[in-house]
Amino acid sequence: MTAFTAILVDGYRELVAKKLFTLSMILSLLVVAVIGVGGLNEQGVTIFGFTIEVPFVNSNMFTPADFYKLMFNSVGVKFWLGWLACLLALVSSAGMFPEMVSSGVVENMLSRPIPRWRLYIYKFTAGLLFTSLQMAVFCLASFLVIGLRGGAWEPGLFLAIPLVTLLYSYLFAMSALLGTVTRSAIAALLLTILFWGFLFTLNSAEFLVNGFRIGSVKECEAIQALMEKRQKENPEVDVSDLESELERNQSTLSNLALWHRVVFAMKTVFPKTDETTSLLQRWTLEASNMKDEGGDDAEEVAATAQKPRRRGGPDFGNGRAKTRDVNLALEADQRSRGVGWILGTSVAFEIATLGLGCWLFARRDF
Amino acid sequence: MVSQNQNVISLECVSKVYGGNTHALREVSLHVGAGEIFGLLGPNGAGKSTLVKVLLTVVKPSVARGEMLGQPIGDKKTLARVGYLPEQHRLAPYLTARQAVEFVAALSGVDRAIRKKRAAELLDRVGLSKWMDRRVNVFSKGMRQRAGLAAALVNDPQIIFLDEPTDGVDPVGRVEIRDLLIQMRREGRTVFLNSHLLGEAEQVCDRVAILVQGRVVKQGSMADLQKEGSRQELTVRWGTASARPLPFRGMNIAPTVNVDGSHQYVFSDLDTAAAQPALDAARAMGGEIISLIPMRQRLEELFMKIVVDPTTGKAPPPGAGS
Repeated sequence: MTAFTAILVDGYRELVAKKLFTLSMILSLLVVAVIGVGGLNEQGVTIFGFTIEVPFVNSNMFTPADFYKLMFNSVGVKFWLGWLACLLALVSSAGMFPEMVSSGVVENMLSRPIPRWRLYIYKFTAGLLFTSLQMAVFCLASFLVIGLRGGAWEPGLFLAIPLVTLLYSYLFAMSALLGTVTRSAIAALLLTILFWGFLFTLNSAEFLVNGFRIGSVKECEAIQALMEKRQKENPEVDVSDLESELERNQSTLSNLALWHRVVFAMKTVFPKTDETTSLLQRWTLEASNMKDEGGDDAEEVAATAQKPRRRGGPDFGNGRAKTRDVNLALEADQRSRGVGWILGTSVAFEIATLGLGCWLFARRDF
Repeated sequence: MVSQNQNVISLECVSKVYGGNTHALREVSLHVGAGEIFGLLGPNGAGKSTLVKVLLTVVKPSVARGEMLGQPIGDKKTLARVGYLPEQHRLAPYLTARQAVEFVAALSGVDRAIRKKRAAELLDRVGLSKWMDRRVNVFSKGMRQRAGLAAALVNDPQIIFLDEPTDGVDPVGRVEIRDLLIQMRREGRTVFLNSHLLGEAEQVCDRVAILVQGRVVKQGSMADLQKEGSRQELTVRWGTASARPLPFRGMNIAPTVNVDGSHQYVFSDLDTAAAQPALDAARAMGGEIISLIPMRQRLEELFMKIVVDPTTGKAPPPGAGS
């Protein structure tokens, strides 16, 4: 415990010594200040007493409390905590492991009566301090702004602290591993960002393929419904054109289902950063007693569904299925992925990454 | 606690092979007694630091048979009783000297109250009392080395490993560090000094081992090693050319001629009685005895004899070789 506390305190001192940490804290407070200076009146949004007319965002549509919670969720959680704050945290902490394994420092760490794997885990935990502190400051400031400006005191906002720390920990586990292997802060940072990009791409690919798959299912259902309708109206009617269309769509569906299975299997293995952020948004909304207006998934579903369907590829999408049905089915599919799958598989990957890092750190000569 | 005269380090066979064919250490066997200053000497790349790192679990050995403080090599718990100042060590630049020393103490499992007290005492002892609350990034190399020494002592170790402790330190600092080593010995600690500075080792070490290309080629007490090559040098000035027997009559010792014309005879024995017949003979032959000086073999001479290849006159290349 003595060593753990010492490494934790040392990690804090290391972060505080870095200007980026202070900058990041200031930026966090600035984001909250931006949320705080906004307000609502009957015409729209007010900033420093000036009114910007927004037809759908005004005091007739939202209570002040809901407005600030919405701002916290859409600006604070989605963009700041989910992306920028994590990126800044990665930049700040990328040097922690390369510094620990550098010559002249590592000897002092390893020649102590502590197993190497513990040193690794202690250092990793110290690295998570950055995000937790930043989150704590951000949530406290948001809590005060929503309380003072919106009149609603919502302790549920503090749920963001463990969730964003968890989200950051997926990436920091990778950064720690790469930092130990390469002994270079820049290499660790760039490769971790690359990994994050890969996760984003994988997630987007899965989302798109799943969208096409569900669209194809709905298309087949729509064709079958149309066939039944025609036959019901006139049992003698020729539906061979619909039969061949159904056949083509079923073939496409079979291909898409296969590809989706492949992409989904890949995605299952890796951390789900996007889903964790969505979960964070959903939970903080629920915890702060605010109705979920659809959230991230619904927005993305709608955006994807409104994109023109591709032509010239597999014969998919004659537009018989209703876009709304496809969107709802896709949203239902996304939501059916339980917390256990999202967080469990992500944490499993993180544990595996940490385990590999510990193993490499434990067997390496310095 | 290990009593005096007991071995605190007994290595039977320690080997380290990198990549299957680079032998950093080859069946190293050595013994370090309690309360002594032991010097591990050798040219650059001989494997000195690797051996220390093996003992301190920084490097995994290929073979390690032996004990340190009564426990097998590699036992982590033993390290709570061991101090270490690594070569070219770096203290975290964002810490003050006090924080850096306390951090090392905490890693060694020293209780908070004790480590606070000890850190202040040790920093005072190494001459950093006025600097203990300043960040180490403003320290000179010598000051960092002193802070490192304080950190190495903070867990009250029985054995302290110092890897090139005077590296980069000015002459005054070197003398102070030397005094500190002697003080540690007085306190009953064992000091394992890794150095390529032979003059320094000669002044403080009780026993030394010389490591060349990963192999211990010589070890023993300083007294014994110095005795091995000890001699007496007799300088005689002859009055006339005819009274200048070469070689020295009856003693079969060929003299060398000094620049002032005197002759120097070397007796490979430190016993002054052995030189008496020569003195008598020289006087009887009209020679003037200028001096009879007992000469102990310097460590540097011994080192060069061991390290330099007599056929080529060259030292082996750096590195432990394959």
